[in-house]
Amino acid sequence: MLKKIPKWNLVLFVIIVLEILVFGMMNPRFWNTSILLNSFNDFVPIAIIGFFLTLVVITGGIDISGVSIIGLSSVVTGLLSQTAGLNIWAAVVCAVLTGGLCGLLNGVLIAYARVQAMVITLGGMLLYSGIAIVLVGLSGVSTYEGFTGFPESFGQMANGEILGLPNAVIIFFILFLIAYILLHRTRFGRYLYLTGINQNTAEYAGINTKRVMMTAYVLSGLSAGVAGVVLTSYLGSARSDYGAEYLMPILTVVVLGGTLITGGKGGVVGTALASILLGFMQIGLQMAGVATQYIGLATGVLLIVSVAFLGINPDFRLNVKRIITHKQNGG
Amino acid sequence: MTGPKNLVRLEDIRKSFNRNTVLQGITLELNESEVISIIGGNGAGKSTLMKILTGIYQPDAGTIEINGERANHLDPNAAHERGIYLVPQEPLLFPNMTVEQNLTIGFRKNKHGVKEESLKLIKELGWNLDLNRMAATLSIAEQQQLEIIKGLLRKSKVLILDEPTSTLTFSETEALFRVIEQLKNSGVGIFYITHRLDEVFQISTHAVILRDGQVTLKGKIEEFTKDMLIQGLLPAGSETEYKNQFERRAAERTGEEPILKVENIVGDGFMNISFEVYKGEVVGLAGLVGAGRTEIAEAIYGINRIQSGKVYLDGQDITHFSINETVNSGLAYIPEDRFLHGIFSIGSVRHNITAQLIKRHGFFTKKKAEEQAAIQYIDRLKIKVNSQDDEIKSLSGGNQQKTVIARALSMNPKLIIMDEPTRGIDAAARGDIYSIISELKSHGFSILLISSDLEEIERISDRIYAVYQGTCSVCLSLDEINAANVMKAAFGTYKGSDGAYG
Amino acid sequence: MEPMASMANIIKLREFRTFLFLILLFIIVGFMNPDYLSLQNIDKSLKSSLMYMVLAVGMTFVLLTGNLDISVGGTLGLTAAVCGTILRDGGSIFTAVIAAILIGAGIGLINGFGVIKLKISSFIMTLALLSITRVIQVMYTNGKWVENIPAHVKRLSNFEILGINVLTVIVILAVILVQVFLSKSSKGRYYNAIGDNVDGAVSLGIPVKRYIAYSFVISGICAALAGFIFVSQIGFVSTNAGVGMELTVIAACVLGGVSLSGGIGTVVGAALGAIILTSINSALVYMKVPAFWNDTISGSLLIIIVVMDALLAFNANKKAKKLRLNARVLQKEAQD
Repeated sequence: MLKKIPKWNLVLFVIIVLEILVFGMMNPRFWNTSILLNSFNDFVPIAIIGFFLTLVVITGGIDISGVSIIGLSSVVTGLLSQTAGLNIWAAVVCAVLTGGLCGLLNGVLIAYARVQAMVITLGGMLLYSGIAIVLVGLSGVSTYEGFTGFPESFGQMANGEILGLPNAVIIFFILFLIAYILLHRTRFGRYLYLTGINQNTAEYAGINTKRVMMTAYVLSGLSAGVAGVVLTSYLGSARSDYGAEYLMPILTVVVLGGTLITGGKGGVVGTALASILLGFMQIGLQMAGVATQYIGLATGVLLIVSVAFLGINPDFRLNVKRIITHKQNGG
Repeated sequence: MTGPKNLVRLEDIRKSFNRNTVLQGITLELNESEVISIIGGNGAGKSTLMKILTGIYQPDAGTIEINGERANHLDPNAAHERGIYLVPQEPLLFPNMTVEQNLTIGFRKNKHGVKEESLKLIKELGWNLDLNRMAATLSIAEQQQLEIIKGLLRKSKVLILDEPTSTLTFSETEALFRVIEQLKNSGVGIFYITHRLDEVFQISTHAVILRDGQVTLKGKIEEFTKDMLIQGLLPAGSETEYKNQFERRAAERTGEEPILKVENIVGDGFMNISFEVYKGEVVGLAGLVGAGRTEIAEAIYGINRIQSGKVYLDGQDITHFSINETVNSGLAYIPEDRFLHGIFSIGSVRHNITAQLIKRHGFFTKKKAEEQAAIQYIDRLKIKVNSQDDEIKSLSGGNQQKTVIARALSMNPKLIIMDEPTRGIDAAARGDIYSIISELKSHGFSILLISSDLEEIERISDRIYAVYQGTCSVCLSLDEINAANVMKAAFGTYKGSDGAYG
Repeated sequence: MEPMASMANIIKLREFRTFLFLILLFIIVGFMNPDYLSLQNIDKSLKSSLMYMVLAVGMTFVLLTGNLDISVGGTLGLTAAVCGTILRDGGSIFTAVIAAILIGAGIGLINGFGVIKLKISSFIMTLALLSITRVIQVMYTNGKWVENIPAHVKRLSNFEILGINVLTVIVILAVILVQVFLSKSSKGRYYNAIGDNVDGAVSLGIPVKRYIAYSFVISGICAALAGFIFVSQIGFVSTNAGVGMELTVIAACVLGGVSLSGGIGTVVGAALGAIILTSINSALVYMKVPAFWNDTISGSLLIIIVVMDALLAFNANKKAKKLRLNARVLQKEAQD
């Protein structure tokens, strides 16, 4: 049974368990289940985008515009519900769709106009946060405070709980499940892998790789839209600069999760585990008295070490194999 | 010391890739002022031999001597320094630099001198190369010219030209030959790799024929005739074990509707192509590399556009279908370049087999059905794997190819186009693939076989169309198929069955 | 070189189009508000783009080899903090500059090591270093701003001769000199060659790995020098000095015609791109458009330009392939 679980996911799982043990020993409050579960609130937007960015990375692409879509989606929610007076849930739907629209623009330009994903999503990053800033500017709301005064029910979305489980945890698992099923149980998911491994071969096999790639970016945009809404609900206000500092952690959870940055390999289970690992580390370090700013150091080192390890691993194995077969030939 | 100075001496060079023997003991010598034509089919080992000489590959055994000195562990730099320069078939230029920058890069010495020299060379050659143009805008012939000038600028004593004329026009070729003549007179030794027999007699002093990694014919050009060269290219004897495996039948097809009917199609790389394939028939598309066979196949399959003409599959017009549509209508294609277009290298064997099949499974993938399909094809095609979860790149070339064939079969096609199905795979797997073809044929599948392997296409095909420089004017029926006729047709010299070899 | 031919070549250059665009921007905005064309404003626009120009020069080296350096914002912040502290505590300008260069080179070496030896994609490697350098900056400054920079340092950036800012002149001259190095010297061409065709570069005997490492070191040093300019221009170093600059710089390079896939681009183009991006800012002010339109305009500009470039390149490739294939088809006339 254990053989079926990819080794890297196992490693991540073991690290999470170690984290719980070590941080708990440093500060027993860490062993409090409700604190651990509530910590999901802090990283659920990162995880949500991470799940769907994983799909994009599997096709061999990249999407760094998600961090700006968070702010845009947040502002759209605020603008439509607070200034335009739309029903809050209708505003939420519009905000998520706005994210999808941004993803569509990315996807069309990357898949059909064949521009590098990095360049387009960099432009998108400027453009989408620019639009968010413009919306805030035109609406006359203070940039610092943003839109406030959301209804109680909206705040409950991220802060409430069902059957003792914080909603953040539930949102985490719902989106994980969607991404998991899409990637690992559907034809579309398989096409994502095949496109990422070899787009030419996929084309020759009759797969519409451009549509597949475009869809991945749309999903990534939608997920960033959801993340923006969740963050707005959690923090109780809508601001254009939400998510600005998430680029590093989002990429870290995807890469640390074992998804190959060159595409074709990886999965959302790894991303989910990596985001929990990162989230627990953040709260653990905080509880251990380490200032928040220092967490970037740990993240950065973790990122380099994990990628170096994942990258060197197959080479290393190959070398070992070579030495062994060489000996056999000699003997 | 008497006689001309020796430039290169290769002795008993052997090389194999993954148990696939490419060179089995080549001995060659090149002296000053010699032009040695190296002729051979695909997979004969020409390029490998030249890559060994230029230090790109290391030989498994054998010795290389350059200017009388032994050269162990040659690398590209050392080869350059010893005056060996390869003008590759696919130019290795910097597309975003100008012609001048491409010529001067890598030189330590005065740029201006290099420029003057190149200008002089271009003028001498009578070529029309603008030094200020971007390399990306050059035609392939011009890129080739640029590579040749790069070699000449380096004052190389040994120049290797790998099919330099395959993309040159008539007058450009003439100019090149004048250069070769000049170089020869100034003492340079040249290895000239070619498919074109006329050229061999026009410019070379010696000819060497390679077949299956061995030299089968070697000597001064005066000693040979064209027919002798063709004979040398032909396989020795006919002891091949799979000969009788194929029950071939002559076309008695009057009134029968063909499975594939190609009518006068025109596209990039080919012109006015027409042919038919009937049910249960293996039709060969013979020709040299670059003749346009792959372009024809890709256009039929829907990868490239067909400008005019019609293609019918089982009566259905598929001329302007997309790949997805041609696949659904019953066409399958085994691509020429397995690594680039055939396999999903880091994907599992199962996912490689079912890449097309899952389309029929609906929105969700069906793991059970996929596993069964994988088991079925691994069993039926004798694909050697430890588990169907193995990465396909860990398999041997032959097993990779079988996996690609399995994927094609999974869609239950009416016609399979196989483009070089046995390239780069070992003899045993080759035999397996022939049995697969034979079995498919007996089950009524039709196959369009594209192959540069003369022996293969000659023995398997029921009929053969020859493609020569993008046109197709020769069709050999079963009683006309023999090695000599196929070879002549591929080289564009077939003038009807004259019975001389029949 | 023939003057006519070189003139025609200049017009064809991608950088020339960028330059035209910049001129056009100034003319249009100047038409709406003539003050924009005043020498004073042009001087100001150039001055505020200096930092980005220096960063863009370093970034171009990395981009030419086909890599990416996200860490420059972090390097800039860290070196600005270190320079600021040295200067504040009475250190000489010389010491500060040397310290900055050492830090920049060190970060570049680490990046190069990760990319070449550990085979980490440059995007990931430099991103990780970005977050690490940020933390080091916070640790170094204890999370405080570096203030009270001596006035003579600030004067350095405002030093003028005949009303022209000397630092601006130095940077522009440096950009031109680097360009001459890149396009005229044999070593300089190597950076383009590596990104253009790695196989070709290897077969010519270019030490590809070493030059990739050099490119990261150069980028690190440029970021460090930009950090010094930051101190002298701004006069204090906040904890988020340089945040987000890496992306602006990459945008500037792309705007100036440097390709992220390597092999294409010039430092002059990248510097022009940097000027355009900073000029949009001041243009908005002169056009009395609220400043919050800035990112929207830069972002759409970037997307429009790269999409146009990509479509042009795609069509050119397609045409070349078609020509190549059709060249092989037997010409009936030739045979008869």
